[in-house]
Amino acid sequence: MKLNKLRMRETWVSYCFLAPVLIFFLVFVLAPMVMGLVTSFFNYTMTDFTFVGLKNYIRMFTDPIFLKSLKNTLLIVVGSVPVVVIFALFVASQTYEKNVFTRSFFRCVFFLPVVTGTVAVTVVWKWIYNPLSGILNYILKTGNIIDQNISWLGDKRYALLAIIIILLTTSVGQPIILYIAAMGNIDQSLVEAARVDGATEFQVFWKIKWPSLLPTTLYIVVITTINSFQCFSLIQLLTNGGPNYATSTIMYYLYDRAFKLSEYGYANTMGVFLAVLIGLISFAQFKFLGSDVEY
Amino acid sequence: MKKKLLSALLTGAMVASLGLGSTTVMAAENTEITWWAFPTYTQENADDGLGTWEQKIIDAFQKANPDITVKLETIDFSAGPEKITTAIEAGTMADVLFDAPGRIITYGKSGKLAPLDDMFTDEFVKDVNNDALLSACKAGDTAYMYPISSAPFYMVFNKQMAEDAGVADKIKDGWTTDDFVEVLKALKEKGYNPGSFFCNGQGGDQGPRAFFTNLYSTSITDEAVTKYTTDDENSIKAMELIKSLIDDGLMLNGAQYDGSADIQNFASGQTAFSILWSPAQPGTQAALLEGSGVEFIEVPFPSDDGVPALEYLVNGFCVFDNGDEAKIEASKKFIQFMCDDPEWGPKDVVRTGSFPVRTSFGNLYEDERMQTLATWTKYYSPYYNTIDGFAEMRTLWFPMCQGISNGDVEPKEALTDFTAKANETIAKAAQ
Repeated sequence: MKLNKLRMRETWVSYCFLAPVLIFFLVFVLAPMVMGLVTSFFNYTMTDFTFVGLKNYIRMFTDPIFLKSLKNTLLIVVGSVPVVVIFALFVASQTYEKNVFTRSFFRCVFFLPVVTGTVAVTVVWKWIYNPLSGILNYILKTGNIIDQNISWLGDKRYALLAIIIILLTTSVGQPIILYIAAMGNIDQSLVEAARVDGATEFQVFWKIKWPSLLPTTLYIVVITTINSFQCFSLIQLLTNGGPNYATSTIMYYLYDRAFKLSEYGYANTMGVFLAVLIGLISFAQFKFLGSDVEY
Repeated sequence: MKKKLLSALLTGAMVASLGLGSTTVMAAENTEITWWAFPTYTQENADDGLGTWEQKIIDAFQKANPDITVKLETIDFSAGPEKITTAIEAGTMADVLFDAPGRIITYGKSGKLAPLDDMFTDEFVKDVNNDALLSACKAGDTAYMYPISSAPFYMVFNKQMAEDAGVADKIKDGWTTDDFVEVLKALKEKGYNPGSFFCNGQGGDQGPRAFFTNLYSTSITDEAVTKYTTDDENSIKAMELIKSLIDDGLMLNGAQYDGSADIQNFASGQTAFSILWSPAQPGTQAALLEGSGVEFIEVPFPSDDGVPALEYLVNGFCVFDNGDEAKIEASKKFIQFMCDDPEWGPKDVVRTGSFPVRTSFGNLYEDERMQTLATWTKYYSPYYNTIDGFAEMRTLWFPMCQGISNGDVEPKEALTDFTAKANETIAKAAQ
């Protein structure tokens, strides 16, 4: 009886400690998610709230700007995730065996864009890409690579690539740190034994190091994919989705519809679609990459 | 135990009644309203921070009306509109907003604003004496915006560059489209960077629209502002000219610039002209102009017949209906003070850098420049920013211009498609 009372009191205390986070989660995460899902079936604007069934979903799949935004979003994901993973792995493998100073220096260099505010990063890149006074055009012209200034963010041939490049600089920092940490945990006795047995460096990497790095790689792939899908602030600050929707992503188009035109229901439809898409892709990543992971 | 409970309840009731009582007394004594202001006002001194003038006039109002407290919050043009939309939906919107008819009338049509019909007295209407301007403040017959000042949008050229190219005398009121092209060619020959047909976003998009319509004397809508007419023969001709100017390097492809960036390019001396300027700009861009030593020539847009039609800004206030009659009344009193007070009204107009809507305020500016600009109000064209679906039309305008500038689509095809879609927004919004 006394034990039960004690257990009950402990349970209550635990719930009290959990309460703030739980309330926050319910009010600011779960409730908006449910409301977003529900209102995606409504024509929800500043003046209207009418149930329209699947009309918003049908509209979404026949909306050419949405389809263009979906294509751009997928291009950003495909263009950034593999590069981030490969580049981070390369930098980490080149630096983790170096001395503490060199390692810290590279960590700092690549992590700096991560901790710098997005707006500050954007302002710098805006200047780099400026067609009139930007340093990129200056360097390319000085090196006789181009003869006329290029409008990096205004020309559809370059705009999306320009966005992906910025995204890469702000995305590689964390994976590099994670890879360096993961490499520090590789059992060195296995590496040495393999070398003694005559394994090449590639074999050492592929047979010993890579399997040990798979859990980290899985995490990086999933997180980078989600971040790439949610690419918004760079586009909002640099191109407004232009030129002619060449850099519009689902997140930007969603924002545009919700906050410029007050089409909340339609915007939430896109939000639901994006959440499902991210969920499916993350599931696939866990399925294919996770099967080889050994913890 | 019972006694303790009873006494606790009684004490609680007493405290609650005291609290309620004091709240009632407070409400009767003081009404607090919040004012959200875009950075439209210019400050009296270069060192004054944002909102200094606004706070000064609040202080004057509060002194005259000690029963009302006004809380000032400044918002910026880029994130402000989204902040307002979010606040309206969340029910946390301010009481007073200082803005232009485009957004205000949209809020009014959505039923979010308190009607201001009682402020449009016969005396006020007679004093303004401008039907087009007054109708810009209304949705149908209901007034939602109380106007204080207005100013035209026009072009600006770098004086030193124009003089160096020998074309400064051509840049003047009454010039034609042919004169304009000649000026651009002369500037290019001297190696100066031209201004852009900017279209990165909605910021300042009235400039390119006005520039486009003036070239061959067309208009964005019909005279009665019932439909878009941007696909007629002359509109296509104008857009084809713009495209050829971009292709020939006489204008910059503006897909990377919005109005603000284009003006900054001009004010910092990087480009020879901008297709967006207004009477308040020299004040707003003072630091850049001074730093780069740029002197400027202000001029209406060129047109084929030499008679420009200018778009114009109307500054004014609206009151949000937050369900509190006392706040609505206090808000009206506040905006009446700012616009009509014999002492503070004219001062307030001057700080907007524009011209008073009240004719009785007379000429508030003594310098020759402002007196010249005041004469351009005769070029005001029909005000179409209050047309149904205007906000959505703006989201279609700049991608269309980007498509043309980048050569993705021919001007005729782009304008036909844009006009059809823009007209659909009218029908959609009216529903």
